Amino acid sequence: MAKILDKQRYKCAMSAMQTVQAIERAIPVLHSGPGCAQKLSGSTGSSGYFSPNIYPCTSINERDVVFGGVKKLESTIRHSLEVIDADLYVVLTGCIPEIVGDNTEEVVSGFKEEEKPVIYALTAGFKGNNYKGHEQVIDALTEQYLEPSKIRIKGLVNIWADVPYQDEFWHGNYKELERLVKKLGLTPNIIFGYNRGIENIKKIPAAEFNLLISPWVGLTNMKKMEQKLGIPYLHYPTLPIGAFETSKFLREIGTYAGVPEEKVEAVISEEESSYYYYIERYADLFLETRVMSKQFTVVADAQYALGITKFLVNDLGLFPAKQFVVDDTPREYQEKVRSYFKDLNYIIEAEVSFDTDGFNIHNEIKAHDYHGYPLILGGHWEKEVAKQTNAHFLNVSWPVNERLIMNSYYAGYEGGLKLIEDIYSVAKTRFN
Amino acid sequence: MGQIRQIAIYGKGGIGKSTTTQNLTAGLVELGKKVMVVGCDPKADSTRLLLGGLAQKTVLDTLREEGDGVVLSRILKEGYGGTRCVESGGPEPGVGCAGRGIITSIGLLENLGAYTEDLDYVFYDVLGDVVCGGFAMPIREGKAKEIYIVASGEMMALYAANNIAKGIKRYAKTGGVRIGGIICNSRNVDRELDLLRAFSKELGTKLLYFVPRDNIVQHAEINRKTVIEYRPDSNQANEYRSLAQAIIDNQDFTIPTPMEQERLEEILLEFGLMNIKDDYKI
Repeated sequence: MAKILDKQRYKCAMSAMQTVQAIERAIPVLHSGPGCAQKLSGSTGSSGYFSPNIYPCTSINERDVVFGGVKKLESTIRHSLEVIDADLYVVLTGCIPEIVGDNTEEVVSGFKEEEKPVIYALTAGFKGNNYKGHEQVIDALTEQYLEPSKIRIKGLVNIWADVPYQDEFWHGNYKELERLVKKLGLTPNIIFGYNRGIENIKKIPAAEFNLLISPWVGLTNMKKMEQKLGIPYLHYPTLPIGAFETSKFLREIGTYAGVPEEKVEAVISEEESSYYYYIERYADLFLETRVMSKQFTVVADAQYALGITKFLVNDLGLFPAKQFVVDDTPREYQEKVRSYFKDLNYIIEAEVSFDTDGFNIHNEIKAHDYHGYPLILGGHWEKEVAKQTNAHFLNVSWPVNERLIMNSYYAGYEGGLKLIEDIYSVAKTRFN
Repeated sequence: MGQIRQIAIYGKGGIGKSTTTQNLTAGLVELGKKVMVVGCDPKADSTRLLLGGLAQKTVLDTLREEGDGVVLSRILKEGYGGTRCVESGGPEPGVGCAGRGIITSIGLLENLGAYTEDLDYVFYDVLGDVVCGGFAMPIREGKAKEIYIVASGEMMALYAANNIAKGIKRYAKTGGVRIGGIICNSRNVDRELDLLRAFSKELGTKLLYFVPRDNIVQHAEINRKTVIEYRPDSNQANEYRSLAQAIIDNQDFTIPTPMEQERLEEILLEFGLMNIKDDYKI
């Protein structure tokens, strides 16, 4: 039965145009109706060399439905190559051409001999949300652009974590993950964000291994790369936030990559020492802020719900109420993701609900006894229920309307401190 | 004048929908009726016999080549006995969406004022089965209110007819569309008449007419004519005249009661279609 999706947490698969935009000098070429791009282009931080306003689009109409839109697609790609100076052209299909059955593959294959690479991803909205769309784009790169490498560069690691723009901390998180991996003596390779782009895409096949930091998004990409490019992968399901998880994360990568234990421990020791210096300095505040919540709820995608839950339990000593994973996690991953929430310190287990309906989620929040002021970390939609429940509220997940995030981050040791700052900045506004 | 009777003809592919529609149209025209035939098949061969050949540009071809400024005279041609003939047409095989093409062209016909008040009948000759929403277009939104299904005693023709009835039933509740009967285009199958009668009854309708098989139909087709034009004095011409009269006189319009697969096969068994001993000798 059809149901109303109250308070949407994601967009349709074609919103993978954001994934393309996150790759410098890559441009989406949209094969869709004109309204799709307009609806999907409302993210912050999307201006620049290419912005959604200049994305080429076939803007298909009724005639293209009846007769097929392939001719228009062909000319749109051809003209894009002529007038737009990009490094990578990614054709993304919307619902209409997928229903009509336009043979996008055939059209795109006609551009194989071009100087610049043209690839395509089938991102019809009915195929799923932008988490799936993001995966489609990465798969398209693997299937259509990348070739197995004859050489393997020791220590070169491709890092895959956040879905750009869907996670507004993507810039900073990738940068911090890059910094940490580099400290272990490895050479990180990331394709999204500042000063990376096509050159880093070209490096992918020579990597020693792929590092996926995500509960489920990207797993299919890792398997595909393993199959086609022969790159093994390390799946680390938790976005490391704060000292406990980040140290665990570094140890696991170190072991996998064969980094000497002393080196890993030296890095951890240096990072932790700085981290706990600040914790110690502000311990009085933690102790004396009596209005601070005891229990918390995260309403976010699996990446943040898990990362933040682990941090708040393991590092901050809070107790989890129910956690809500709102990214429409495919059924096949749900049990596995649920199990990650059971792996917390102090024999604590967090209950998880995979629900995309804001109405249900808010009702559950309202019905729960948080033994004090609730702490709610979620999307802008949770502001309302936070007000109703007199909660401390921090907007961490999409949609983010409450704050501006440019290059700050929650990943790593310093990211943990930043999250503490943000939470206590809210708690401190209340009379203590 | 009365209301235009808008009639859609459905049936399994190759069963003879176009042939039957055009021949009965010739019968109606002889009786002084004003008829428009709208071919709803990308093959665009629904008006060939009335026009004396594939003489017509389809609505969609015209739309594709001339853009939005299509005028009615470019797509509506006059055929045998003043019949107005339109072919919806469709995209090239393997591309685009033929279903949407039907929707587009019927919409265009309406906008261009093809449905004039002097018309007595409009026939929609629809490709095969009701495969998708597009091919159900003639029976949606209050267009054709009468449906006839062309069938024969062959099993697959009856499967298709039953399936089409499901489509009609769906739109009967909202659009007011009704089934007017089954037209048997005989294939000389054993006990065909009995089977078709029983099948029609089970479907909640009647066998409107049994058109016997006659090679003269093929001869007329080769000569790009309806039987009535080709051999006005033949028996088969009279059969089509009688079919035309049966349509004129028909007042039994019902909501069909399509069968479950099991029941359909029971009927087929009952009439021997499935248990005739194979008499296969080399």
